[in-house]
Amino acid sequence: MEQRTDSPYPRRDRPVLAVIGALLVVSTVVFAVTDHRKDWRYYQATFRQMVAEKLGAEKAAQIPSGTVQIWVPQLGRADRCITCHQGVAWKGFETADEPYRTHPAAPLKAHPIEKFGCTACHGGQGWAVDADPAHGPVEHWEDPVLGKALGEAYSLATDDKAALMQMNCNVCHRYDRETKGADLINRGKALVNAKGCRACHVINGRGGTIGPDLTWVGDKAPEQYDMSRLSGQRTAFAWHVAHLKDPRSLVPDTVMPNFSFGTQDAQALATLVLSWRRAPTAVDYRPGVARTDPQTPEEVAEEQRMKTGPGAWFVKTGCFVCHSISSLGVKSAAQIGPDLSTAVEDTQKRFGKTVDDFLKNPTGTMSVVLSRQIVLTDAEKDVAIQKLREAFAEHQRQAAGAPGTAVPGAPPRP
Amino acid sequence: MTTNPAPAGAPPAPEPAETDNRRDFLMKVGIGAGVVALVGQAGASLRSLVPNVSYDAPTTVKLGLPGDFPDGLKFLPDQRLFVFRDGRTFHAISAVCTHLGCTVRAEALSRTEEKEVAGKPLRITHRFLCPCHGSKYKGDGANESGPAPKPLAWYELSLAADDGQLVVDLAHEVGHDFRLTLA
Amino acid sequence: MSAEPETRPVPGGSPSAPGVHPRPLWSFRPRSDREAGDAVVSNFLLHWFPAKTYKPSLDWTYSFWLGTASAALFFLLVLSGLPLLLLYVPSVERAYGSVKDIEYVVTFGSWIRAVHRIAAHLMVAVVFLHLVRVFLTGAYKNGTGRGQRREWNWVIGVGLIVLTLFLSFTGYLLPWDQLAYWAVTVGTNIASSVPFVGPEMRELLIGGRTIDQATLIRFYVLHVIFLPGAVGALFAYHMWRVRKDGGLAKADRWVLETGKVETPAGRTKTYSLLGVARGTAPAIKATSLQARDLTVNAVNDLVRRAAIVTLGTFAVVSILACFVPSPLEEPANALVTPNPAKAPWYFLWLQEIVTDTTIRIGSFTINGAFLGGVLLPGALLALLTAWPWLDRSSREAAGVWFARDRRRQNLVFLAVVLVVLAFTVVGTFMRGPYWHFYWPWQPWPELPTRI
Repeated sequence: MEQRTDSPYPRRDRPVLAVIGALLVVSTVVFAVTDHRKDWRYYQATFRQMVAEKLGAEKAAQIPSGTVQIWVPQLGRADRCITCHQGVAWKGFETADEPYRTHPAAPLKAHPIEKFGCTACHGGQGWAVDADPAHGPVEHWEDPVLGKALGEAYSLATDDKAALMQMNCNVCHRYDRETKGADLINRGKALVNAKGCRACHVINGRGGTIGPDLTWVGDKAPEQYDMSRLSGQRTAFAWHVAHLKDPRSLVPDTVMPNFSFGTQDAQALATLVLSWRRAPTAVDYRPGVARTDPQTPEEVAEEQRMKTGPGAWFVKTGCFVCHSISSLGVKSAAQIGPDLSTAVEDTQKRFGKTVDDFLKNPTGTMSVVLSRQIVLTDAEKDVAIQKLREAFAEHQRQAAGAPGTAVPGAPPRP
Repeated sequence: MTTNPAPAGAPPAPEPAETDNRRDFLMKVGIGAGVVALVGQAGASLRSLVPNVSYDAPTTVKLGLPGDFPDGLKFLPDQRLFVFRDGRTFHAISAVCTHLGCTVRAEALSRTEEKEVAGKPLRITHRFLCPCHGSKYKGDGANESGPAPKPLAWYELSLAADDGQLVVDLAHEVGHDFRLTLA
Repeated sequence: MSAEPETRPVPGGSPSAPGVHPRPLWSFRPRSDREAGDAVVSNFLLHWFPAKTYKPSLDWTYSFWLGTASAALFFLLVLSGLPLLLLYVPSVERAYGSVKDIEYVVTFGSWIRAVHRIAAHLMVAVVFLHLVRVFLTGAYKNGTGRGQRREWNWVIGVGLIVLTLFLSFTGYLLPWDQLAYWAVTVGTNIASSVPFVGPEMRELLIGGRTIDQATLIRFYVLHVIFLPGAVGALFAYHMWRVRKDGGLAKADRWVLETGKVETPAGRTKTYSLLGVARGTAPAIKATSLQARDLTVNAVNDLVRRAAIVTLGTFAVVSILACFVPSPLEEPANALVTPNPAKAPWYFLWLQEIVTDTTIRIGSFTINGAFLGGVLLPGALLALLTAWPWLDRSSREAAGVWFARDRRRQNLVFLAVVLVVLAFTVVGTFMRGPYWHFYWPWQPWPELPTRI
C-alpha cells in the first residue's frame, strides 16, 4: 500500500457540504414556489369557472390563460391589467364584482382598448401583475388607479367617486370646451372662465402674469409644494383643494383672492389643474387637432357657396372633383374633365351620343367612374340629365348677356 | 463535481459500522441534492428566456373604411398585406413570400384579366415578385416559378361591428374562394 | 470523470509514452498521496491547486476564505448576468420597461435579478473584507520563500477592488430609474471635481454633459464586457501569483515555527513543475517532504473546502434573493431630484465626507467634492497601494493576525476602516431628506406625493 497522508477534514467537512446542498434545495424550492404563487392564477381560475357556469364550458375554453398584455408602442404602455380583469370584453358580466366586470361599452368606442390600453385612462401600474403594485398607491409609483377607493379617500363631494379619473381624460382633452362624460373637469373649466383665472394666470398658453403660469402645473413635483401649513393628506391634490378654498391658509403672503369655493368646486378645479401635464401622446391621440390642410376664409366661403348654390347636386354627387360647372358657379379644383355647363352640346360632339344615351351607356373614363366610384341608379341618372339641362340653359342665358339669375354671389368671371 | 460516490458495496471507510453507513448515505443525499438544485437553478435561468408576454403587433387589425380603399390594389406595409378592391368586393393576400419570408413586390399587369379562382370570378391586376430569391406568384397568389413552395396566404377580411372599418385577421388564413362583398 | 478503482492500472505499469497515462489516473478519493498528486496534474480544473497544502492554511478562522468567496460571487455574477444579458434592453426608452418585465412577467426573473444584485453588493463587501484581512495579517509581506512577490499581488488586489467598485457602479445605472439616474449623477460629478481634467473626464465617461443614451450604452458596455474581462484577467493573475508565492503567507510560518534555517536550494518542494529543473521558480521549504503531519493532500481536502465556500456562497445568495426584493423606483426623470438622492452605499462615506469638506477661506472656496471626493480617497488609495513598501516590520509578521511589530499600523488601518464604515453607515441609514441626520428610530418626515 502506497503512503497516504491522514486527514481529519473529510469527517468534518462532508456534513457541511451536505447541509449546503440541502440549503440550495430549499432556496430553489422557495423561489420556484414564490414565482408560481401569483394573484392572477386565482383570478383566472375563478373567471373561467364563472364563464363555464354562465355561458358553458365551450366558451370558458376560449379564455386566454397566463399573463396577457396590451402593448401600445405609441404610448410606451404595456398594460397587463387584462391578465386579471378578464371580463372586460365579455358581455354578460356587467354586474359582476371586480376584477371580472364587463367594461362599459360607451367610452371604449372612441377609445379602443388596443389603441389606448388601460392605464392611459385609469392610472395604475400596467407593468405589474399583482394587485397591490398594480393599483397603488404604492411606493415608487406615483400614478395610482384613479378609482373609487382614491375618491373615497379624498371624500370626493361628487356622486361619482371615481371622478378623479377625469384627470387623465383631460390630459388629451385639455383644449375641449366641454368633454362628454367628464363632468368634474367641465365644472372646473366653467369655473376657470367664470372666475376669470386668466386675469392673473397663463392657462393653456394665454393669460396674465401676476400669478404663476399654470400651463404645465400638473407636472410640478410634489416636493416643490410648500406643505408646511397643510394638515391632513400631504399630496399635491390635497394642497390644491386647500389652497383653492383659502389661498392664504397655505401661502400667507399670496395676492390670490379667496373665491370662497365650496368643496366640490375646489375639487373640480384641483382635478383640472393636476390634469395639465405633459404626456407623451402622438398627434392622432389628441382630439380636435387639425389633420387636414388649413383653408383660408375665402376658400371656406367658396366651398360653402358651392355646397348650397344651384350646383349643389354636382358637389354632393362628387362630379365636381373632376368637372367644373361654371354656369352654376361650381369650380373643380382638379378640372380633369370638361366643363359640364355645355355637356348637353359637348357630349354629342365628343361621343356622338346624347347626354341621355351617354349616361346610360358611358364609354371611356366615364364608364369606369360611373361603374365604380359614382354609382348612380336610373332615377339618379334622370336627375343628372335634368341638372345638366338646367346648367346648359343657364350657360346659354349667361352667354346671351343676361344677368345671371340662378347664381347669387357667384364670383365674377371674365 | 464534488460527488464521486465509491462503487456500491465498497465503502471507503475501513470499519463499515451501521451508523457510519447511515451518516455516509445522508451526506451523499445532501451533496447530491445540492447538485440537483444547482442544475435546477440553471434550468430556471433558461426558463426565464421563454417570453411570457407578447410585444408583437396584434393579429386582428382595423385597416380603415372600405370606401377609402382605391379600386385595384393597396399595399399595407405595417401588416405586409395587399388589399384588393373590385367595386364592392374585397380580398386580401399576404405579401410574405412562402419561401423565406421576404416581402414580395406587386407588379401591375399590362392588361387586367378576369378569371375563375376557386370557382369564383376574380379580376387579376397584378403579379408578385420576391426580391430575395426570385419567386414569382400569379395575381391570385398561386406560386408560378422560383423556390416558393406554396401560394401566398389569403387572410380573412370582415367589417368591424362598431365603426364599419375593414378588419383583417392575420391569424386566420382562408381559401382562394374568399371574397368580402359589401351590401 | 474518474477511473474505477478496480481497473486502475498499477502505477508505473506500462504507459504508452513517458508521462502519458493510459487512462485517467486520478480520483476525488485518492488512495495514496501519489494519486492525489496525479489528480492535480491530470485534471484541467484541478490544475491550479497545489499537490499538498499546509494544514493551517485551510483554517476557517485564518483567511475566512474571503478571497474564495469573492471569486465565487464573481462567478455567480457572471452566471446570473447571462440571462439578464438577454432580457435587458440598453436603451433609454426600453431599459426601465425591460427591468419591470424582469421583475413582473419573466419566469424567475425577479429571483435572477435579486441574485445578481445581492451578489454584487456582497462582492463589494467581501472584497473589502478580504483586503482588510490581508492587511491585518500582513499577508502582503514576503516570508521565507525565494522569489516571492507578494507586494505585487497586493497591488493587483487593490486594482481588483477598484474594478469591483466600478463594476457595481456601472451596473447601478442600467435600470434607468430615479435611484440609478441620480446616484450616477452624484457619482460622476465627484469625478468632475478633479482639477483641470475633471469635467473632460466626466464628459468622456458619460458621453456628453447630461446622463442620457450615450451614458447608458457606455456604462452597459463597460459593465458587461470591459470590466468583467479586466476582473477575470486580474483574478487569474492574482491566483497564479498566490501559487507562485507559495500559497498563503501563513504557509511560510512553518519554517519559522519549526526553527529550521534556510537550507540550500535543491531539495525543495516547488509549486512549478518546470521551475524545479531550472531552479528559477520561487520555492519554499520542502514542508511536504519534511513535515508530513503538517500537510494534507489538496485533492480533495482543499478542493472540498473550496467547494464548501463556493456552494455555500451560492446558497446564501440564493436564499437571500428569495426574500430580499430588488428596488426599482420611478423611471429616471431629469426634472425631479429625489429627496434624498444618494450615491450607491459603498460611495456614501465619500458623499458623507464631501458634505463636510467644502472649505471657504475668505472668498476662496475649495469644492468639498474635490477635497473629500478626489483628494482624500486618492491619497488613501495611493497609500494603500504603496503600503507594502512602507511597511518595515520583520518577515516574521507575515501571515499572523495582529502581529506585535505591526501593531501600530494595524491600529491606524483599523481606525481608518472604522471611520469609513461609520461614515458609510451614517450615509446609508441616518441621512434623510435634505441630507438631514436622523437616528434609526426617528421617523423620516413623510414625503408628499402627487395624488
